[in-house]
Amino acid sequence: MSWHPSALNVSFLTLVGWALFLAVLTGRADLVIVAVPLVVAVMVGRRRTAPPTLRIDHDVSAERLFEDQRATVTLTLRADEPVPLVELLEPLPSRVRLERGRHHAFFSLRAGEEVRWELALHCVGRQRLQLGGPHLRFWGPLGLSLAEARYRAPQTVAVYPELVPLRHLPRPMRTQTFVGNYVSPVQGEGIEPGDIRPFAPGDHVRHVNWRATLRLGTLHVTQHHRERNADVVLLLDTLSDVGPSGATVVDVAARAAATLAAAYLARKDRVGLIEYGGQLRWVKPGSGRAQFQRLLDTLLDASVVFTYVTRDVDLIPPRILPPQALVVALSPLLDARFVRAATDLAARRFDLVVLAVSPVAPARAAVPRGRVADLAARLWTLERRAQLDELRRSGLTIVDWDGVGPLDVALAALRQRRQRSVLAG
Amino acid sequence: MMRLAAVVLVAVVAGIPLEILAAPPVTWLAGAALVIGSVGALALSMPLVTAGASLALIAYTLALTAARPVADPIASVVFGGTLVLLLALVHFAGRIDGALVGPGVIAGQLRRWLGIVALGAVAAGGLAAGGAVLGPILVGASLPVVVVAAALGAVLTVAGVIALVTAPSA
Repeated sequence: MSWHPSALNVSFLTLVGWALFLAVLTGRADLVIVAVPLVVAVMVGRRRTAPPTLRIDHDVSAERLFEDQRATVTLTLRADEPVPLVELLEPLPSRVRLERGRHHAFFSLRAGEEVRWELALHCVGRQRLQLGGPHLRFWGPLGLSLAEARYRAPQTVAVYPELVPLRHLPRPMRTQTFVGNYVSPVQGEGIEPGDIRPFAPGDHVRHVNWRATLRLGTLHVTQHHRERNADVVLLLDTLSDVGPSGATVVDVAARAAATLAAAYLARKDRVGLIEYGGQLRWVKPGSGRAQFQRLLDTLLDASVVFTYVTRDVDLIPPRILPPQALVVALSPLLDARFVRAATDLAARRFDLVVLAVSPVAPARAAVPRGRVADLAARLWTLERRAQLDELRRSGLTIVDWDGVGPLDVALAALRQRRQRSVLAG
Repeated sequence: MMRLAAVVLVAVVAGIPLEILAAPPVTWLAGAALVIGSVGALALSMPLVTAGASLALIAYTLALTAARPVADPIASVVFGGTLVLLLALVHFAGRIDGALVGPGVIAGQLRRWLGIVALGAVAAGGLAAGGAVLGPILVGASLPVVVVAAALGAVLTVAGVIALVTAPSA
């Protein structure tokens, strides 16, 4: 780090030049005297000593956040020697808004003095936020010389998709072997009462149904349904994307996937994730907090990778996509390859629910408003409705979600339909 | 606040030529300097402020040439010192615009600027005194000799300043 002249020198030298030129031209000594303070300023403003050193602590309040949460960046400056003027600039990544404080500051420090500088960042969309540390600029007297440096403190903050509370989850048709929250049709240990049958050796006394026993005259016991968990696989379509940065249809779908994952994991289900796009990435179904973290990390990096290659769902091993699992496909249904994959899964008797995230709202946010755009959006909505009806007729269970309204409302209608179909079945 | 202070300095710089001679050509130039300098001060634009200051300097020269007053070193020092303060203030205000300014920054800067201006005033006073001593000695010299010497001095000064600014740091 070394001093170099600033652009202000040009202004000073311009005036010095004018004053001396006019002095020579007119022969007036007054103009030479006018130039003297300017020349002295330029000479004094020139620095010869090494720029001062600062000790900087750069601290970010959190390494993991959810969308719309705040991160506080705290910088602590300590000067071992006097610093007449130091300018600091903390570069703000895109999709980050300054919530409180300024990201550009000037300080003057005495020897041994400490200054704390805080700024709060509002993280708008899912992203890996890179905070590299501030740029420093030391200014000499009058701003005629400056020395620049970069304090490097690379810190990454993971901003995960926002979670919203869900009450109406698509109920899995089939359950697994582990204890969970779903009442299984299989009889066994549980708390949900089932059939009543005559007492048999080996039955627990606490299972005796005394009311039935008194009425029928012989010992009868109440059987119970087992409470079991389910496997849920979230199939995220990253073959296509529309919308402005941070609010694309993949961002909306990732938000819905994170919400569904959190809700199913809270019910003790095993949740897996398949990113079906240019690159096929997956997370094996599992449960617990560590699994939730794995899912969030995968969703954070979900993005469109362009490819012409059609990936068959056959490539996905059964341990990733168990046959008994409920598959929730999150897609704008813009790419025919994903529609084919979903149809294929449904044909193989997978318990499949397609959450069709409407691309219309994100696309409209990306184009200027106008009559033509309005008309195009209405036509697109109609065309999309017809496409969804056709897919429903071909046997797919589809939930239409505009991506703007509450996800819970969209899922509530599905829950009623699935309950009716289970009863009918 | 800083913009207002800069406009006041522009007004001082534009007012000094009018103090010497309030005649139409000087008034026009001083008016143009005031307008351009004020716009530059309000917009925190260094090129405009430099242009305004240059116009004020030309107006000052014109006033000196037309009125032919007795040399007034104090007015010249005030003019030069105000130019220094004006350039430093507008440049600083442009840098801190929209930024967080820590405690004591502005007061510290002001102290340093006034110190440098005072140093400039002392140097100008020394030069004026030296000129007063050398004046009687050079009375006999012909005007071309004085002009050539002054021009040489001016060129050497500018060259020295440029060399000083562009020299690599130690």
